[in-house]
Amino acid sequence: MGENRGIGRRNLLKASLAAGATFAAANAGLLAATANAAAEEEIPSLKGKRVAISATGTDHHFDLTAYNAQIDEVKKLGGEAIAVDAQRNDTKLVSQLQTLIAQKPDALVQLLGTLTVVDPWLKRAKDAKIPVFTIDVGTPNSINNTTSDNWRIGSDLALQLVSDIGGAGNIVVFNGFYGVVPCAIRYDQLKAVIKYYPDVKIIEPELRDVIPNTVQDAFSQITAILNKYPEKGSIKAIWSAWDVPQLGATQALVAAGRTEITTYGVDGSPEVLQLLRDPNSPAAGNAAQQPEEIGRTAIRNVARYLAGQKLPRETYIPALIANKKNIEEVTKTLRLG
Amino acid sequence: MSSDIDTLPAYGSGGDTTKGIGRWLAGFALRGGSLLAFAAVLTFFSVSAPFFFTLGNIGNVLGQSAILGVLAIGLTIVIIGGGSNVVKGGIDLSLAANLGLSAAVYATLISAGYGDSVAIPGALATGVLIGIVNAIAVVVFGIVPLLATLAVMNVVAGLELVLTQNTVVSASTDFLSVLSSYGPFDIPVLAYVLVIFTVLAGAVVQFTPLGLRLYAVGEFPEAARAAGLPVRRIVAGSYIASGLCGGLAGILSVAYLSGSTTGAGEMLLPVVVTALLSVVFSRRLVPTIGGTLLSTLLVGFLTNGFQLLNISSTLVSGIQGVLILLVVAATSLQHGKGAV
Repeated sequence: MGENRGIGRRNLLKASLAAGATFAAANAGLLAATANAAAEEEIPSLKGKRVAISATGTDHHFDLTAYNAQIDEVKKLGGEAIAVDAQRNDTKLVSQLQTLIAQKPDALVQLLGTLTVVDPWLKRAKDAKIPVFTIDVGTPNSINNTTSDNWRIGSDLALQLVSDIGGAGNIVVFNGFYGVVPCAIRYDQLKAVIKYYPDVKIIEPELRDVIPNTVQDAFSQITAILNKYPEKGSIKAIWSAWDVPQLGATQALVAAGRTEITTYGVDGSPEVLQLLRDPNSPAAGNAAQQPEEIGRTAIRNVARYLAGQKLPRETYIPALIANKKNIEEVTKTLRLG
Repeated sequence: MSSDIDTLPAYGSGGDTTKGIGRWLAGFALRGGSLLAFAAVLTFFSVSAPFFFTLGNIGNVLGQSAILGVLAIGLTIVIIGGGSNVVKGGIDLSLAANLGLSAAVYATLISAGYGDSVAIPGALATGVLIGIVNAIAVVVFGIVPLLATLAVMNVVAGLELVLTQNTVVSASTDFLSVLSSYGPFDIPVLAYVLVIFTVLAGAVVQFTPLGLRLYAVGEFPEAARAAGLPVRRIVAGSYIASGLCGGLAGILSVAYLSGSTTGAGEMLLPVVVTALLSVVFSRRLVPTIGGTLLSTLLVGFLTNGFQLLNISSTLVSGIQGVLILLVVAATSLQHGKGAV
């Protein structure tokens, strides 16, 4: 890979993606294809263009990384970024969308958000002839949605969970953000998988993860449910649609000495990947996404569209399921901390 | 309500001349300063963000301020009726939670298949009921409003969690579409709602005998009682009016957010800030409805200006904090704590 030196991080990433692809036969095609396709293409300039970037929040590793990557990419392509962050407050989110729409930018990129809250305003932007792009928001009002393949993330993570617990047992599920499309898809995929494992049961009522104080809240909710199911084996695993609840849940299991229970989540936050590396930690599976690549790709799609190119409805950025066995390979392949 | 007597010395004692002049100066600086500051904020943003001073943007800010404005007006009514002593005077901490529960009731009724004819009265009744509970706690049981409404706030927030399971409940009806649309001059309908509501509330509070009694009860409860005013009933009424504002704000919020969402509690601090700030926009340094509208807009313009300048909106909280300190400091000075 010596010839890549000096070309920049993103080319290195692509090269390593292509190289790493050989280890995971199942994912090799997908990764190599993405890497090659992106490497050959010239990205059009954004000179003189104002790109509005509306983030739902930046308090989480995924959001913050994707948000910053978008801003950097707009600057790199010579455009002006109008970037705002609603700090996970829906009222703020709607005001910021209103204000952005009124400024008539050349494009608007929405990063996450509850669909029913953001969609009416994305429609309004579209009606105002502003090209709308999204990250992790599936809506007919956006031209292109850049996202991980959440169907695959959802089913792969569910299969890992089911296989780890031997296809039987009670699982605890955090389902607080069903209104957020990627979370809904992952949850539906979990249900679709366990439908064929009649001995796997979701403990009712499901838990509701919250923002803010996600870690503390997950810790106390799991501590409470462990007291309710004190026998070892009465709970086999804990699932959440992202990995900040997984962090709190894992800490609660360690604190209660119930490390026979395993935890699963999505996003590849550095703290959780660190737990996965620890052989004694109950963290057993995490779908590692590439937020930086997702943010960058969304902006490149904006540039391509403004240059008159056609875009696919969705752009999928590869994600890999990390478990205790493959954690080192996955972090190397995705170049994550 | 004998605790309100604590606010009396401010007006009751004569004080010596120097202190009197100091107080007058503090008051003058506060009044003039606040209007100057408002003008400076507008000028600054207009110059640095050309888009700021356009009809479309000002309309947006008015619309975005509607929910906060209605809540802050509710709180202002309570502060007028209960006296402005920050610790023992009138306060309604349950307003933000009230907004959350009323919105949740509205959205839940809509998603259960009921129409607006059920959901609107449902939301308003929820708000009024919360107001009645507050009124009973404060007037009948004589609990300090700060604590009474704090307890009610927790109960109400808990009920919202039970009702919505802490999830987003989406709702859409024709009425909601009208509320969240744009009216004449391409200004949001919510902006018109805020202006009309302020005018109505202002007319009642500032220009009717009822409003005058409300001020009398808040500022001089003993004198009001001696004059034969139904002090308890008027104070209770102020909490019920505030509850109604919470219910109304709930409906506006469902329109704004296309449903009820979590996190209504975060609204509490801005509401309290706005209502307290209203004092500096009145001639006699008392809370007024018009002053509340101005302070709502100040907060709205600050947030909006920062957004346009691409500056983190977290700074707005910092500025709000500084403003509160200034207001409380200046009003304490003006009320002449030294003279007690």
